[in-house]
Amino acid sequence: MKLLHVYRSEANDDVKKLVEIVSEGRECQSFNLNVESPDYDKLVDMVFTADQTICWW
Amino acid sequence: MSKKVGFMLVNKEYTLDGIRSTLGLAVENMFSYAYVMYNELPELSDYHRENIDWVRDMEGEVYTTEDANVEKHGLTKITLEEIGKQLRDLDIIVPYGIMRSDKS
Amino acid sequence: MAKSLGIFVTSPQNMRHIMGICKAAKAKGSKVKVFFSWYSVHLTKCPNFLELSKLVDDISICVDSYKNAGYDPADIPPGLEAKKMATQAQHGEIIEDYECYLTL
Repeated sequence: MKLLHVYRSEANDDVKKLVEIVSEGRECQSFNLNVESPDYDKLVDMVFTADQTICWW
Repeated sequence: MSKKVGFMLVNKEYTLDGIRSTLGLAVENMFSYAYVMYNELPELSDYHRENIDWVRDMEGEVYTTEDANVEKHGLTKITLEEIGKQLRDLDIIVPYGIMRSDKS
Repeated sequence: MAKSLGIFVTSPQNMRHIMGICKAAKAKGSKVKVFFSWYSVHLTKCPNFLELSKLVDDISICVDSYKNAGYDPADIPPGLEAKKMATQAQHGEIIEDYECYLTL
């Protein structure tokens, strides 16, 4: 199970806790959209190789 | 096999519509769950109450972290940790809308 | 090889991300579908919505959300066909028919 966490804004404590539980024992990557110029090309490649992507708020 | 989908509803401006979206997938033969987190539902119209009933009729559920939603609207209580464990079993996780600015 | 990509939009804040991701996915040869619901239908009024509609393979909006946001369903956003003023079944289509799923 390869999981990709995408963050649209800075994660609060609730999101961090959920990410921790969901990620336990799984291969995880993350991508931060909350920057000036996100590398969308890289993000799409990561989405294509992940089994599941979660776009947190 | 039917997909399992969870809608995470953290903002009262988005929650009732998120429940409508939950029902929208339940009628598409998916297992569809809503998690109302840290926001209280307003007084519900018959329409919104029926949406919740229909989600349940179709083997879904509307959970909440808030006691007020359990007492006033009969939603099913859940903790943040329990939500996390349930999310591990879902095919699709939908952090819905935008994050509330605080927990009020 | 490029996979197909479905995007369920519920936030009115992410047009630059939608455009960026769709452009990158299409450049890789991906088939892309976007569905707008709830407050995200305000994005149909963005100047680049027409560009988005030409870029992707399938684009639709929730007509109930559009009405709730105060718009006239007869005022069809640029690039949309009338039949794409649709229901939550479009979300179900994204989940069932597309290999990758994003919420924005």
